[in-house]
Amino acid sequence: MSKFNLYNTEMEKKVEVLVCYGTLCHLMGGSDLQLLGELLPLDLQGKVDLKGAPCLNFCNEVDNGKPPFAVVNGRKIEQATVKKLIQEIRVELEKK
Amino acid sequence: MKPFHIDVNSSQLSKSGNNVCGDVVLSRKVKDEQRTIITVSDGLGSGIKANVLATLTASMAMNFTVEKQPIERSAKTIMSTLPIDSRRQISYATFTIVDIDNGGETQIIEFDNPAFILFRKGKLLDIPKKDLSISLNDGSERKMLFSQFTLEMDDRIVMVSDGVTQSGIGTTQMPFGFGCDSLNRFLSEQIKEDNEISAHELSRKVIRKANENDIYKPQDDITCAVIHFRSPRRLLICSGPPYNESRDKQLAQMAKSFNGKKIICGGTTSLIISRELNVGIEVGMTLDNSGLPPKSKMKGFDLVTEGILTIGKVAEILEKLHGTEVYGSGPAVEIVKYMMESDEILLLVGTKINIAHQDPTLPVELEIRRNVMHKIANLLEDKFLKDVEIQFI
Repeated sequence: MSKFNLYNTEMEKKVEVLVCYGTLCHLMGGSDLQLLGELLPLDLQGKVDLKGAPCLNFCNEVDNGKPPFAVVNGRKIEQATVKKLIQEIRVELEKK
Repeated sequence: MKPFHIDVNSSQLSKSGNNVCGDVVLSRKVKDEQRTIITVSDGLGSGIKANVLATLTASMAMNFTVEKQPIERSAKTIMSTLPIDSRRQISYATFTIVDIDNGGETQIIEFDNPAFILFRKGKLLDIPKKDLSISLNDGSERKMLFSQFTLEMDDRIVMVSDGVTQSGIGTTQMPFGFGCDSLNRFLSEQIKEDNEISAHELSRKVIRKANENDIYKPQDDITCAVIHFRSPRRLLICSGPPYNESRDKQLAQMAKSFNGKKIICGGTTSLIISRELNVGIEVGMTLDNSGLPPKSKMKGFDLVTEGILTIGKVAEILEKLHGTEVYGSGPAVEIVKYMMESDEILLLVGTKINIAHQDPTLPVELEIRRNVMHKIANLLEDKFLKDVEIQFI
């Protein structure tokens, strides 16, 4: 490792959060999830890669649970809230 | 769809001290016959009284023309219907009727309004006019002018009320008013400066100039109506997944091959098109105060938004909108702006029903897409004179 490597390589593996922006999710509280980027606690900032998706198509199957939906590192989260997503992000970070 | 479009727009200013303009411009598209009819009328005096006279005249002229009544009879009826002014003891309102058919064949009848101005390739064109005399029941004679010609691509017809040609009268700069020649010169300059100038913008410029001549205190009602005959600007709005999945490909191909601006409204719809055309979607994260899901980007498309909430908002904006100026931000406002900038709008509506949207426990009622799109189409056609076609898929 070069002695000039100032960046922690572990840091670069960000937690991927995909928020559904479909109609149903938006109505059922998903509109709040747009604010996730701003509401992240200080220690999580820079560790999350927040993205939107047109419609994740979870709402068409009852078994998937209730909207709004989000995906954290590939895991589907039902009834997502900002609080719940932050918890899930912490779970993902602890896994490493 | 047609190879050309007739862009009609007008601007008005009322005489200083009046809230209501005494000039009236009406325009209507007769869809079955592919005709566009525009009537301009200037009522006697100013204020409410003039407005009533002008509205009466313009709407009668409009309806008689739609019904293809002989002009002599219409003019006679109009003149004998108008109430007699208690002060001046005459009944009077001027009018100009323009009737354009789908081939550009145009007939114009003028009664006492300043002559219409026809611009072709940036130059003024003189049209020979025929005298039409009618004798009224009280024995007096009235003279009207009749002209007939065929419009060519990029022609403009400008009609003004005498408030424009007589603006500035009595001032040191123009003691005899603005006049027709100065107006013609002013118009040629504007068209030369910007050959693409819209009917709306040109009419705005004329009334602004007239207002300036009157030193910002209009001495009469000022009206300018512009008709622009030009190639159509086209817009496609795709919304909703096709009823049958086998038609997904068809939807994507129609969207791809469309010539003009393209908008997709709908998460699932954008995913279908993205899949079929193999182009990625980049979902935006920008927040605005519209309360709608953010817009996305997709190569080859001008705008990608969420579906039913956004188009519901579009219908709401269109319903409340006066004029063509849209204010605010958000995906719905952007769609309305695109609509206002287009002449021909194709609504490609998928009819698949999203079962999840039918849940009665939802916090708001989600309307059926088909109904909302019908509403939008009707508003665009009746209120904004757009050429709208709906296709269900």
